[in-house]
Amino acid sequence: MKPAKMPTEEFMTSGHLACQGCGATQAMRFALKALGPKTALVIPACCWSVIDGPFPHTSLKVPIFHTAFEAAASTASGLKAGLEMRGDTETIVLAWAGDGGTFDIGIQALSGAAERNENIIYCCYDNEAYMNTGIQRSSATPVGAWTTTTPTAHYKKRPKKKMIDIMAAHSIPYIATASVAFPQDLIAKFRKARQIQGTRFIHIFAPCPTGWKLAPELSVSMASQAVTSRIFPLLEVTENGLKWNVWKDFEPTPVQDYIKAQGRFRHLSDEEVAGIEKDVERNWQEVLAREKLSATIPGLDP
Amino acid sequence: MSEKIVFKSYREMPICAMSVADMTWNLTGSWRNVRPYYDFKISPCRLGCPTTEDIQKYIYLVTEKHYEEAWRTIIETNPMPSITGRVCFHPCMDKCTRKDFDQAINIPAIERALGDTGLANPDWMAKASASKKQKVAVVGAGPAGLSCAFYLARQGYSVTVYEVDRALGGVLRWGIPEYRLQNDLLDEVIQSILESGPITVKTGTTLGKDVGLEELEDTYDAVFLGIGLTTSQRLGIDGEDGAGVDPGLEFLRKVNGGEKVDPGKRVAVVGGGNTAMDVARCARRAGSEVTVVYRRTMNEMPAIRDEIEEAEREGVHFHFLAAPKEIVRNGGKLASIIFQEMKLGEPDESGRRRPVPIEGKTFTLEVDRLFTAIGEKADLGCIEGLVDCKWNLITTADEYGRTSREKIFAGGDVVTGAASVVEAIAAGRKAAERICRLFTGDGEPESGEQRTIGIEDINTAYFERSKRTLVPRIPPEEAVAGFEEIYRGFDKELLHREADRCFSCGVCNYCDNCWIFCPDVAILRKTDEYVINYDYCKGCLVCVTECPRSCISTREEGK
Amino acid sequence: MKKVIMGNHAVSYGVRASDVKVISAYPITPQTQVVELLSEMCADGEIDAKFIKVESEHSALTAVVGASAAGVRSFTATSAQGLLLMHEILHWAVGARLPIVLANINRAVGPPWSIWTDQNDSLSQRDVGWLQIYCESNQETQDTIVQAFKIAETVKLPVMLVLDAFFLSHTFEIVDILEAEQVRPFLPPYSTEVRVDVEDSHSFGNLASPDGYFELRYMIQKAMEQSREVVKEVDREFGEHFGRSYGLIQPYRCDDAETILVTSGTVASTTRAVIDQMRDEGIKIGSLKIRVFRPFPFEEVFEVLSGAKKVAVIDRNISFGHHGIFFQEVKSALYGRTDIPIIGFITGIGGRDVTPTVIREIADKAMGDESPEREINWIGVKR
Repeated sequence: MKPAKMPTEEFMTSGHLACQGCGATQAMRFALKALGPKTALVIPACCWSVIDGPFPHTSLKVPIFHTAFEAAASTASGLKAGLEMRGDTETIVLAWAGDGGTFDIGIQALSGAAERNENIIYCCYDNEAYMNTGIQRSSATPVGAWTTTTPTAHYKKRPKKKMIDIMAAHSIPYIATASVAFPQDLIAKFRKARQIQGTRFIHIFAPCPTGWKLAPELSVSMASQAVTSRIFPLLEVTENGLKWNVWKDFEPTPVQDYIKAQGRFRHLSDEEVAGIEKDVERNWQEVLAREKLSATIPGLDP
Repeated sequence: MSEKIVFKSYREMPICAMSVADMTWNLTGSWRNVRPYYDFKISPCRLGCPTTEDIQKYIYLVTEKHYEEAWRTIIETNPMPSITGRVCFHPCMDKCTRKDFDQAINIPAIERALGDTGLANPDWMAKASASKKQKVAVVGAGPAGLSCAFYLARQGYSVTVYEVDRALGGVLRWGIPEYRLQNDLLDEVIQSILESGPITVKTGTTLGKDVGLEELEDTYDAVFLGIGLTTSQRLGIDGEDGAGVDPGLEFLRKVNGGEKVDPGKRVAVVGGGNTAMDVARCARRAGSEVTVVYRRTMNEMPAIRDEIEEAEREGVHFHFLAAPKEIVRNGGKLASIIFQEMKLGEPDESGRRRPVPIEGKTFTLEVDRLFTAIGEKADLGCIEGLVDCKWNLITTADEYGRTSREKIFAGGDVVTGAASVVEAIAAGRKAAERICRLFTGDGEPESGEQRTIGIEDINTAYFERSKRTLVPRIPPEEAVAGFEEIYRGFDKELLHREADRCFSCGVCNYCDNCWIFCPDVAILRKTDEYVINYDYCKGCLVCVTECPRSCISTREEGK
Repeated sequence: MKKVIMGNHAVSYGVRASDVKVISAYPITPQTQVVELLSEMCADGEIDAKFIKVESEHSALTAVVGASAAGVRSFTATSAQGLLLMHEILHWAVGARLPIVLANINRAVGPPWSIWTDQNDSLSQRDVGWLQIYCESNQETQDTIVQAFKIAETVKLPVMLVLDAFFLSHTFEIVDILEAEQVRPFLPPYSTEVRVDVEDSHSFGNLASPDGYFELRYMIQKAMEQSREVVKEVDREFGEHFGRSYGLIQPYRCDDAETILVTSGTVASTTRAVIDQMRDEGIKIGSLKIRVFRPFPFEEVFEVLSGAKKVAVIDRNISFGHHGIFFQEVKSALYGRTDIPIIGFITGIGGRDVTPTVIREIADKAMGDESPEREINWIGVKR
């Protein structure tokens, strides 16, 4: 056999309670492979509160402290402080929250932790709705999507919150997006983050076949197309929020293919899909513009 | 697997909700209604190869830098990859899935590189000794005969090769010009075959003259006839036998034998096959203006596409839809040829549209020399009445070359009519296989199901578009000045660049995707395979989708 | 060393003496001096602790929860709205069995905005599972912080220390300041095996089915019940070390008292003055300060009150639709064991001053009324 394409050590076990084809579990598995055994997790209410398994069992081989929905970043701040005061300066504290726990209810604690530049990695695994509670819209739900609180007749009209912009505005040392479809990239970003001190924010796109009305086997494929259709750009923001670096070296795929493959968008007319395509293009151009802008800021690493 | 913890009393419990065991007691395999399973297919390239070279496998082994193993893989079905890597018409590339994505893999270039590496490492070739008592006579040392001899000898059977010429190689030697296949290389390849096992050679021995078929049948336990096509077809028009008109093959034989030739200033070649191309290009090298005249169009030409293109590059002119009608001589010297203009009519039995004369339309081409290259036929006088023949070819019962006589086998052009080197190699190998079965009493070989895949089965998201890696070459103007080999082989870098393009259709190349993407950690990465742990596989089938090469199939549970 | 300090600073000194490792807090009047002094102490290296200056009380408590989960001694302080914002995490600290100490400066809850004292903020958190200790003096405040850590770490439950806004928080008194070296023999450095530790990995607080949750809650109640003895033992031990003890309750001149006024917080001090005055008048009256509200000292309260003819409970709080909260608790302590009339008085809400006159009015009313326990007696309401 060839050398493995990612670390072979597993920190997640079989038997966990995730749905078929769950992106959140892939994300966790990859992240822990990158970070290794000296990682302590803080998990607020999210799918992972359930995936972990019922008391007194766990699916992970690293410690987890489950916390309240809105409290991932603040609990992680305290845990890190506590570990350091106990003499353990090595352990990486990883706050692991869903999109609801990050974009919505947890944004205050996250903003606070980021502003203080707490020495934690905050990871949002984004499945674009409150999936654990039964698919309700969050501010990470994309425009056009059906959820149980945005029924097809009144599908979500507002765009997804630009979380990366918000985080960049906090001047933290490292921000990245990643996708479960690009595990090597994801692992590289976590490894990079591991070497950096301060608040590191990693936003992982993690499809939810159940909530997206998607055949489970297409889960990774959708994650891949989200990137190649430019809906979810893979990027890094370094230099305390100033330097944007966007991955562009791929063959673009149609937004339409991504949209049409998912049941949650099935109600959209061709015109509405065209509207989404336009938004995607604008957002993509905006991200590229930010990257260009970084080049004009004096004193940044080229 | 852990045990599920159930507390009987609060006294057994930790002070707070704290895990004391993992989740592996939870056998999530019970959630599954569709089961994925590893199910490798046969790569289409392999099915496209007449000798079924395991192309995917040797390219994979190249990517892993296991060159010797890669070479061994080819040798299993083709003893002369250095030669096929240069002269084969590579039908494998027409089947290559990658051609439907960007460009087919340059399989012959990889094959050639491996073949040449094999020649450079003579110790790679295992040397078989005469471990079996049976003896086999192989008549004809062309690709079919050499192949048959090789596969018999490596099983330990003693082989005696009878060859009419002084040197071995058959059509490889006198039919293929040196700019495509250097004689030195041919010698090396033949030597490597001869040294691989108990093979004795009897050159300058003509069947039916120096030795009879019945005599061979009596002396040997089996006989393989790979005597090829040796006689040129005739045009069947007036004046064909006079001065200035010669069979192209004879011209080639002289050129390949190193004889100095002067075909004349203006040369016409009639025919559209590889011989026509070889003749035309050799004549160019002798300084002639050459026109190839073919009765159909370029699309119908049986010659290898690369050869036609190369001929064009070297300044060979082409005239299509014309057939020689009359040969005009002036004072016993060839002056010109009158050609009948043709058009394409209904398709014939070969599926190509039949050329039909256009009434009253002719043209004249002034030439000093006309070479005919409209095909060759077998000379079967030596076996007449002994083995069943039809259409001047030996009749065989199957692809394994069994003839009407139990101990006599045949293969190559003498069975198929003008075909290719690789088909002859395949025929020789298959006959060898059948002969072995005859000796061991194993009966007919089984033919397994041959499931393959197409571009629709490839997950193209995992591949970036890239152009085929071409082999370096000398420029046409330099090429046409002599007989230097035009194409050079891949160096390591090019070899790997091209090998890395292979999709590895339907066969696992350990890309890790299934293992990486399994959300349930239910795929185990073992020493040389992946194993699905059905205790936990939930049947999400992400592995099926994310296998770039369709190595995993599914079936419903309980069915 | 003795110093004249404000109540809030007594909290800070208590924290300083307790070798706390992580502090997290968010400013709210009237708690601010607690965190201001602690910030200085951390910055000056007087305390070897990390101070996480968070963006909300919710985050303050969750940060402290995180730190405590790591196995270090952790502290926070708040008031009123802040405590209420922490509500969810108050539960979390209990469920996770984390020995956190929190100082809550009793402040009335809005709207309307009020910064003055009453007990509705802390008492509305009665059922979350925290121990609650109501302090009366700055000395008691400092000492109780030290005791609270020892109690919390013994029973694995968080402790809330409560003091009145301004009447105590901003009042200067002489305090015998405790130094960490002095305290260490009494309160050794904290360590626990139940902690987030990569060398001994566990998942804390994940989903518990009905099969397990019930027992976990049973264990919390058991710990709470056991804590009664622990509080007493810790208090006794503290007395051995420092010569000061406070008890679960503090009876004052109750031995032959026919009427006993039940109090808490700073009202207890005022009440004692009134008791002395009335004793001088020959009235057989005493007072009972309830210091430890959770766990509720049923036996101790019964023992003191069972000898009286009448009991008056002064509540600086109101459970809307029911009664004063101390009143309910005292009543349930006596229920079925005696038929002494228990009369409830609501006063001092929103920082209204509870003067000796108010106490006297309550005492008089309690002694004069024949069957007043059926109604709520609001003292000082402008009708």
